[in-house]
Amino acid sequence: MVRDTTNLKSAGVIAAIFIVLLILPPILPRFYTYILTLMFVTGLLAMSLNMVVGHGGMFQFHHAAFYGVGAYAFGLILKKTSLPFWMAFAAGPLAAAACGLFIGWFCVRLTRLYFGMLQISLGSLLWAIVFRWYGFTGGGDGIYGIPMPSVLSSAKSSYYFILIILAISLVLIYLIFKAPFGATLLAIRDNPERSEAIGINVRRHQVAAIVIATFFAGVAGNLFVVLERSVFPDLLFWVLSLEIFIMCLLGGWFTFMGPLLGAAITVGLRTFVGIYTEYWTLILGIILILLIFFLPEGVMGYVMEKSGAQSYESGDSG
Amino acid sequence: MIGAGHLAPFFGEIGIMDSGQIFSLSALGAQFLVGLSRAMILFIVCSGLSFILGVLRVPNVAHGSLYMIGAFAAFSISTIFGGSTAGFWLALILAPLIVAAVSLVSERALFCHLYEREHLMLLLFTFALMLIFGDLVKLTWGAEYRSIMAPPFLRGSIPILGSSFPRYNLFLLIVGPVVAIVLWLFTNKTKIGKISRAAAVDREMVGAVGINVSWVFAAAFVIGCFLAGLGGALVAPTVSVTLGMDHDIIIEAFLIVTIGGLGNMWGALVGSLIFGITQAFGVLFWPQFAIVFPYAAVVIILILRPKGLLRAVW
Amino acid sequence: MKKKSIWTIIIVVVVVIAAVVVYYATRPPKIARPIKVGIIDCYSGPPAVFGNDALNGFKLALNEINKEGVLGQKIEFATRDTKFKVDIGLSMAKELVMRENVDILAGTISSGVALAVSDYVKTEKVPFFVWISKTEQLTKEKGHRYVFSTGENTYMAGKAGAVALAKKPYIKYWIAGDDYSYGHDIGNAAWRNLKQLKPEVEKIGESWWKVGEPDLIPYITSIVSANPDAVIFCTGGSSMANVLKAIKATGMAEKVPIWIHTATDHAVLKPLGAEAPEGVMGTMDYHFYYPDTPENKAFVKAFQDAYGVPPGFPAFHAYITAHFIAEAYKKAGSVDTEKFIDAVEGLEIDSPVGKISMRACDHQATLPMYLGVTKKVPEYDFVISTDIVPMTGAEIMPTCEEVKEARGK
Repeated sequence: MVRDTTNLKSAGVIAAIFIVLLILPPILPRFYTYILTLMFVTGLLAMSLNMVVGHGGMFQFHHAAFYGVGAYAFGLILKKTSLPFWMAFAAGPLAAAACGLFIGWFCVRLTRLYFGMLQISLGSLLWAIVFRWYGFTGGGDGIYGIPMPSVLSSAKSSYYFILIILAISLVLIYLIFKAPFGATLLAIRDNPERSEAIGINVRRHQVAAIVIATFFAGVAGNLFVVLERSVFPDLLFWVLSLEIFIMCLLGGWFTFMGPLLGAAITVGLRTFVGIYTEYWTLILGIILILLIFFLPEGVMGYVMEKSGAQSYESGDSG
Repeated sequence: MIGAGHLAPFFGEIGIMDSGQIFSLSALGAQFLVGLSRAMILFIVCSGLSFILGVLRVPNVAHGSLYMIGAFAAFSISTIFGGSTAGFWLALILAPLIVAAVSLVSERALFCHLYEREHLMLLLFTFALMLIFGDLVKLTWGAEYRSIMAPPFLRGSIPILGSSFPRYNLFLLIVGPVVAIVLWLFTNKTKIGKISRAAAVDREMVGAVGINVSWVFAAAFVIGCFLAGLGGALVAPTVSVTLGMDHDIIIEAFLIVTIGGLGNMWGALVGSLIFGITQAFGVLFWPQFAIVFPYAAVVIILILRPKGLLRAVW
Repeated sequence: MKKKSIWTIIIVVVVVIAAVVVYYATRPPKIARPIKVGIIDCYSGPPAVFGNDALNGFKLALNEINKEGVLGQKIEFATRDTKFKVDIGLSMAKELVMRENVDILAGTISSGVALAVSDYVKTEKVPFFVWISKTEQLTKEKGHRYVFSTGENTYMAGKAGAVALAKKPYIKYWIAGDDYSYGHDIGNAAWRNLKQLKPEVEKIGESWWKVGEPDLIPYITSIVSANPDAVIFCTGGSSMANVLKAIKATGMAEKVPIWIHTATDHAVLKPLGAEAPEGVMGTMDYHFYYPDTPENKAFVKAFQDAYGVPPGFPAFHAYITAHFIAEAYKKAGSVDTEKFIDAVEGLEIDSPVGKISMRACDHQATLPMYLGVTKKVPEYDFVISTDIVPMTGAEIMPTCEEVKEARGK
């Protein structure tokens, strides 16, 4: 947790950016509104991952599985049943959190690499079910043409809706970090044995963190559906999970807003580089290598260091 | 046999066996052999992944990409020699060597500088390699798919157990155990092999004894990637050599090494056998959801023994 | 601290300037501009062979058309690679429509992508010409004003295939294919028609694999073990090569009769060369060697001169798409979407195989179908279709009433 975000100046910067974002849609062409909205959705996803990785120190290697579960739950209910919108919207994060609870419960029994590999395995199972169940989930074709209430149909209205949900989620995540729970997670991240020794139930806290993180991943999944009106098995694919990792690293996973920034940069680069070249993946790989070698604290981390602010790592930022 | 009839309305239009269908022993046997031959390729690829995982303690996300490079390289070499038998053997030898060279360059130029860093960084580095290699393959060979045939002496099929079994798959059934034996000899009888095993268990000790741990890591990485390339070269005549091969194989490879026991090469063998054979039987019993069989096996194993069937190396 | 407030001001100023610049840079200019066609297709992996074939056919047509132009403009195009994935295809379509402001969308090969994009253009009101994807849903139950098909569809192919199979003595059938819209649609169409023509046929089993499944040997061996009289394969662009390869490797074509729609197509058979199996029954709506009319010969020669290889069906479809677009704009008299659509409906154009019209009730081009069997012949180093039996579009298309009923549901 960046200790000086309580500092009014940083809050001011964030507020200013928020105001600018609010006034952009009427003046931007539709495509850029769409891209910004995509950045918001991906940003929330990255922020949710960072809750367990940067803040919790866990090897959450298949976070995208929960994102996809949320999106599919929301989309399937809207498309195949006539339940009201708010019910479907609640179902997404709840389904994601339920999967998080189930998978997390198994994973926390193991540590570090085992945790990660087990999660990849179980997450891939979810992906395989979605991918091959053509009759129910549309299989590899996915589901498109998901009905949205007309108030959310235009590019601008979905932009505002998603921006507001993002803002609320960020506030909630921030509050969770500031609460004693957040501090406990940091302690567990830095020294699990010591935490256990002073009486903290490490596993229970870790599971709780996973459930919260996957809940927000589910929210991000919902927002994806609102934006795109469709769901695809690629949302649960492990490559996306690692891409979110890159976003957190790029932005700076020991800062609060870092993952959001990382997501925005990645989505922006992917869109605009993709227009000029076929080889976006190559460029992403090179960026990742440069990050690993030269900027492991991420862009935000670097900016924080330079402006003299403290970041919340405990010594080794890579 | 497996009547999923009661599930029919929910599943929509899947194909279900007529309950009158009886699977003859020969059909089961033939399918078992097909699964076994596929398991051989999986074993060769996964043994490499396990080896790297054991010594470097990093899952090599780029393993699938190296497999793909091996397949494309085999295609090129084979095509230069017009698909002849000589070309085939040359491809089997050269393609893995090319892959080994690529991995050595990556390792010495970049990877080795990261050994002091935390493992997450190493894993992310291998992910970056996967991204880069994927596009490098596209740059080198183009986006269209390639196809090569089995060499003349391995073409056609043999009637085995009432079904036509491709000769090439029979070849795979022989190659697999040969590779397994060579690997066993390597890790138990050669100096490098023994040092690698020691480094997997306790790298500080190995360093303390005066051995350059960095070079041990390099050797392990290169050998593991060689195996991936070999797997790719072997699989090339049976599938379309295309972009996306890396994604397909790496998921299976990760699952297999996880259920086998991290870093344990014999675990990779067990895992490959389980995966390949359940998949083949899945195709026989429930073709649409064939994938459920190996994945269900994975889930059951991981619930009962989350660390894998065989002992992990560390 | 002073440093912090400077940062704040800088950030706000930069963002505002960026927004203003972006706005002015991306406003469409008011001067007249060429007609833009956005092509989304698959240019990587096994389906790329079809995507490239189509693109070449389109370019060949444009070369002719742009000589005199359309309404004083040239037709331009931009391409995007869908990688045979629906999510990528959709986002490419969105980018072409929202950022490039294309007048027309064209493509693609994956029926999954085609259906998703068709759904998208319904709200965006941009005409979309589908030139390879074959699912009948595009012009039947999911058809609408803004989607057109210049390729044959599964209804037509299924009917034609069933006609061929009904003449044979096979009773026990196995159906296998790619687990997505195209695979299921062609399987259903073939079976539905076959059962009607020959009620005693029996389906003894089905197998469905994921799109692009690389290793089909286990599937083939299990099918052969079941001993069917004949097999209907429902494979699309991405698994077609693998299926044919597996059939050849197991020698299945010599033991079990097989029908696959598009098995006799050149774009499918050429890359496999001598690896392609012989004796496979297929249906196709275009062959560069049949019919042997002067127009077809001229088209093939022009294509061969430009691209070094003879055209396959994707090239043919894309070629007529270009002509449909050009003629419709000329008839409409302006670059207006609604007038364009009114002009296309019922339009008849000249093609290398005769006149082809765009049926108004469902926006499906009336294309012929040719049944044949694959065979190696001395003139070519690839396999071709022989014993060709032609059928006309009218014989195999659904009636307008059927279409209306399907959409009314």
